[in-house]
Amino acid sequence: MRPALGLALVLAASHASAVSAQSVRARLEDRVPAAALPAIDSLVTQAGSEGLPTEPLLQKALEGGVKGIAADRLVNGVRRGLTQLRDARAILVRAAPARAVTPGDVAAVSAALARGLSPALVERLLGAAPPPPPEPAGPVLHAAADLVARGFPPDSAADLLLTAQREGLRGVRLLDVAAAASHELQRGCAPGEALVRVREMLPNVPEVPPPRPRAVTRRPGPRS
Amino acid sequence: MTSIDRRLQEALDGERDPATLPAELREAYARLVGAAQLLSHTPPASVAERVMAEVRRLPAPASAALAFEDGVARRVARWFAQPRAVTLRLRPAWTLAIAAALAAVVFLPLAESVAPGAEEGVAQFVGHFPGARSVEVVGSFNDWRRGALPLSDEHHDGIWHGAVVLPAGQHEYMFVVDGERWVADPLAGRYVDDGFGRENALLIVRPAVGP
Repeated sequence: MRPALGLALVLAASHASAVSAQSVRARLEDRVPAAALPAIDSLVTQAGSEGLPTEPLLQKALEGGVKGIAADRLVNGVRRGLTQLRDARAILVRAAPARAVTPGDVAAVSAALARGLSPALVERLLGAAPPPPPEPAGPVLHAAADLVARGFPPDSAADLLLTAQREGLRGVRLLDVAAAASHELQRGCAPGEALVRVREMLPNVPEVPPPRPRAVTRRPGPRS
Repeated sequence: MTSIDRRLQEALDGERDPATLPAELREAYARLVGAAQLLSHTPPASVAERVMAEVRRLPAPASAALAFEDGVARRVARWFAQPRAVTLRLRPAWTLAIAAALAAVVFLPLAESVAPGAEEGVAQFVGHFPGARSVEVVGSFNDWRRGALPLSDEHHDGIWHGAVVLPAGQHEYMFVVDGERWVADPLAGRYVDDGFGRENALLIVRPAVGP
């Protein structure tokens, strides 16, 4: 590489980093306590330099700001978020080394951990991914978290979802599997019986109907 | 034919003072005189004539009486104010076309403004907060910004609701009641630790177009 070209790339990268830092500060100023701003800025920059998604950390900071969380607790919350993102990426890499790690998958794994799924269960679900093209990690993890939250044994829930994937169900249809199991519970079935019933339905679990409200507005306050 | 008493005949003819008649003849005299008076007021021959006679006796209607005094504007205003029978003759094809055009005018702008795209879906929020003065939704989809998505209680029954098009995927949110009370949506079914000692509701928006 010619020295001039290398210098140009370094300057471009530093310029992009500076612009990114400015946009982070612009989004956070007046929204979080001034005392917390430098530390949060540093954590977000650190996440970006590690190739982790920064949006979840910004959202956590904005959330803490609007909820009136004190500066030190707010910084701790963002720091905890950074740790969760690191853990999530490590799980993704262990579960499927050949799979490209996307920011969306990292955020989904982080959310699944926050919802109470164990790292081992997340790793199992991601390691048994269906054949390419790779599916986003979010739906299967949320479906598992839904089932666990409703009292189904984690391993049995994972078995059901992996069976559903083998039967060809993908994406949000896996959420329908969890919804069908919850429906069986509401009808009075024991958890084990509910899982058996849903397994017998596969792949034809009923689809959760979309909401049909009378009036719908556009997304308020687009992200700047 | 029954012959009438001569004295009674004389009284009826005015040739005798009725007071000089015997009592039974005075009674007969009174009945005959009453009958004669009734006959002198003979009603019109038919019902139609009687009705028309009554109508003629009524005062003339104000509109007719004042027709010449009213200005043009007053008469026009009265013309518009009075109910009138209107006969509308339409061909069914034209009727359907007009109905479709009206429906398009009413519904299309709404549909265009809210139709979710391929990577979007509709999120519906419902909360039961009786007595609340305001309820809004604040979440990751609006940068946790206050005042961006207020819910409405149209029937004033404490059921607050709203719907919004959001990007497909997961979103964390909370309700803010009366501007100060943070509440995780009790109907969300999914919750996640917010890292600050509370829980956020978790919403998963499905794409409007199936996977």
